[in-house]
Amino acid sequence: MLKKVLAVILSAAFILGAAGCSSSSEETSSSSETTEAEEKDTLRIAYTADPEGLDPQKTSAVSTLEITSNIFDTLITCDSDWNIIPDLANDWTVSEDGMSIIFYLNEGVLFHNGREMTAQDVKYSFERLVLDDSPKASMYENINSIVIDDDYTITFSTETLDVDFLLSFAYPWVAIIPEECSDDLKTNPVGTGAYKFVDWTPQQSVTLVRNDDYFGTKANIENVEFVLIADYTSQLAALMVGDIDITEVTADQIDVLNSTDGLKGEIMDHNSIQILALNQENEYLSNEKVRQAIAMAIDKDEIIDTVMWGNGTKIGSHLPSTSPYYVDTTDVMPYDVEAAKELLAEAGYPDGFTLSLKLPKPYQPHCDTGQIIADQLSKIGITCDIEIIEWATWMSDVYTDKNYDMTVVAHSGRLDPYNFLSRYKSTSGDYISLLSGDVDDLLDAALQETDEDARKEIYAEIQYILAEEVPCVYIQTICKFYGLNESVQGFKRFPIDILDLKSVSFS
Amino acid sequence: MLNYIIKRIWSAIAVIFVVSFITYFVLMFIPGDAAQLILGTDATAEQLAELRTAMGLDRPWLIQYAEWLAGLIRLDFGTSYLYGSSVLELIIERLPVTFSVAFFSMLIASVIAIVLGVVSAIHKNKFIDYFSRSIMQLGSALPSFWIGMIFIVFFGLKLKWFPISDYVPMSEGFLSYLKCLVMPCTVLAIGEVGTLIRAVRTSMIDTLEQDYMEMAKVKGLRSKTVYFKYALRNAMIAPINVFGMQFAKLMGGTVVIESVFSLPGLGRLLLVSVEQRDLVLLQGIVMFITLVVVLASLAVDIAVMLLNPRIRAKEGGEQ
Repeated sequence: MLKKVLAVILSAAFILGAAGCSSSSEETSSSSETTEAEEKDTLRIAYTADPEGLDPQKTSAVSTLEITSNIFDTLITCDSDWNIIPDLANDWTVSEDGMSIIFYLNEGVLFHNGREMTAQDVKYSFERLVLDDSPKASMYENINSIVIDDDYTITFSTETLDVDFLLSFAYPWVAIIPEECSDDLKTNPVGTGAYKFVDWTPQQSVTLVRNDDYFGTKANIENVEFVLIADYTSQLAALMVGDIDITEVTADQIDVLNSTDGLKGEIMDHNSIQILALNQENEYLSNEKVRQAIAMAIDKDEIIDTVMWGNGTKIGSHLPSTSPYYVDTTDVMPYDVEAAKELLAEAGYPDGFTLSLKLPKPYQPHCDTGQIIADQLSKIGITCDIEIIEWATWMSDVYTDKNYDMTVVAHSGRLDPYNFLSRYKSTSGDYISLLSGDVDDLLDAALQETDEDARKEIYAEIQYILAEEVPCVYIQTICKFYGLNESVQGFKRFPIDILDLKSVSFS
Repeated sequence: MLNYIIKRIWSAIAVIFVVSFITYFVLMFIPGDAAQLILGTDATAEQLAELRTAMGLDRPWLIQYAEWLAGLIRLDFGTSYLYGSSVLELIIERLPVTFSVAFFSMLIASVIAIVLGVVSAIHKNKFIDYFSRSIMQLGSALPSFWIGMIFIVFFGLKLKWFPISDYVPMSEGFLSYLKCLVMPCTVLAIGEVGTLIRAVRTSMIDTLEQDYMEMAKVKGLRSKTVYFKYALRNAMIAPINVFGMQFAKLMGGTVVIESVFSLPGLGRLLLVSVEQRDLVLLQGIVMFITLVVVLASLAVDIAVMLLNPRIRAKEGGEQ
């Protein structure tokens, strides 16, 4: 009996193995043929979480915007060096008082449904953007009139002066959409972009095809497929066998990728800052000296070295080091454990105390950073109760209800410093608003200051105040890490949450 | 028999009702809602209040539940806010994947379990028995994500026998469809096989110790006939319950395996619906899983009846 069973198992294993072998040899030969003989015409990008629908105006999810920025266009956009460049509008003029902007649209731009895009569509898109269910509505409340001058000219006016107003037209959520398709953009997006939407199978893939009627420089690669691979190790494996061409990776993989044939690892600057937010309404944290002690007890270099393998730029205030308005304030609260201990004693807590530290589970780098911070704070007697919570709970407990002591999170994707910093207004009701009110007037002044140098000075002052009063400990400008097939050229990151795939090509 | 089935269907409806109520209740009391997640970290409190009103999230939960229930009676499962498409459609799209994975992994696991279970029962405390018990232990002890990774690295990356991250539906080629299922189904089967071997082995040992087995041997029947015609048929009654429940469990989706092998199955959809607080989608999936479990246990009962004339007679007697 035993022999029979063994024989059955062995033969089954043999048959399975043989089947696998024979078909795999077919496949390897066919795949090598395709790479050598035919030109590769599909770019495959891995992603870990489904987009929140494909309507760029109705979500704040980066996963949606990175895909839709290839389907939709905006009036203007920005290049990877933060410069504003034309998109649907080929030119614009800002009025002398700075209160209105005239955009001149390109003629003959077609939506993917074949209809020409005109100023009427631009007006409709902005009216839709400020409806109740648009996450970004409040950014555009200041617009008090949109006037269509002719089919290709449109004027926006604001109620009060906002010198950064122009920049707000570059974000991917101000996508220009055709009114007739607006009801089901979530599942069937129609724009003017370099790629047309083909298909979305939730939890599997999003497929795009090149728009051959695109008004600008047409895309290099014919097809784009976003492939959902939830597990990071599986993503890496898929990259290694050539199933995908681009995937995000963790910092520790960069060296591995660069030493693997046919693959490369790239480190890219990201317009994003990592912070340790301190709740100023907490009994201990309401004391500025305590907050300063915490800032001085944290060794940012150790965090960057351990979590990001040395890739990251340490910061001292709430602007990324890549921003044109950034000033280096890292020396305001330098790493000094002894000074931190003294400050804590001065505040009346020589023996320390216990605080909770809430970490958002989906963001592994923030969780890792939190663990290191807990260890560093223990050296000045502050014990951290680490609580790892899912994102929905973070949004509810920390962001909405402000029911937290400390948390690690990142803020990203803004071109103008005002949008980064306005949450510090004492009246903003934001989870990190600066309750002392010391930056309120400065923020208002910055918004109205037309002289570029004077504005830079105001923003510098705000950055110093934040560094001194420590509503948050500012840790680093975050880098993004990508694993790419060696043949992929021209893949870049931008200061806003877009992926520009039309410039990507295969060598 | 018919009466029995009708009775079971009524109890199934009651179960579904209770389960849906509990899910709604629990979801209402965990922090976070869809409006907060849509708005993200830029929204003001006023905006949040407005969106909650627009989405109907500010109404009392009992009313929300009643409305959902009213929809369910009209077979309207609602629309997922996250995907913007019908919940029923989303679930139906996932069924071929989830069913294939459940079916093939149960097939692999049952064949191994029945063969090893029977053999080790017959050769109790011999080498083959120890061997199958070790497999049992190993299968239950090794975490499936780890075995999955080993499979990916060895069979996917190194030997390149099977695809790593590509689910191919049956309509796009039967061989490719089978190939993409081999690794995930084998890994799942390894996890399931332990429980199944144990069920078969114990039940078979029990049966072999019955007096009528001695009788059969004394009568001079060939051992093949004794083991397979008399013993196995009786011994399968208990394990069938286990098989049915394991299958129902797999039909509910397998989050870990689906993540590791990038399969668009029900398990990850369920996870996403909880994470994103997509209540309508979550309710739809929970209803579906409840329905499968209820149906599976019904099917198990019927199978047991068919296998065992005594139970058949008893149920008949109740009529």
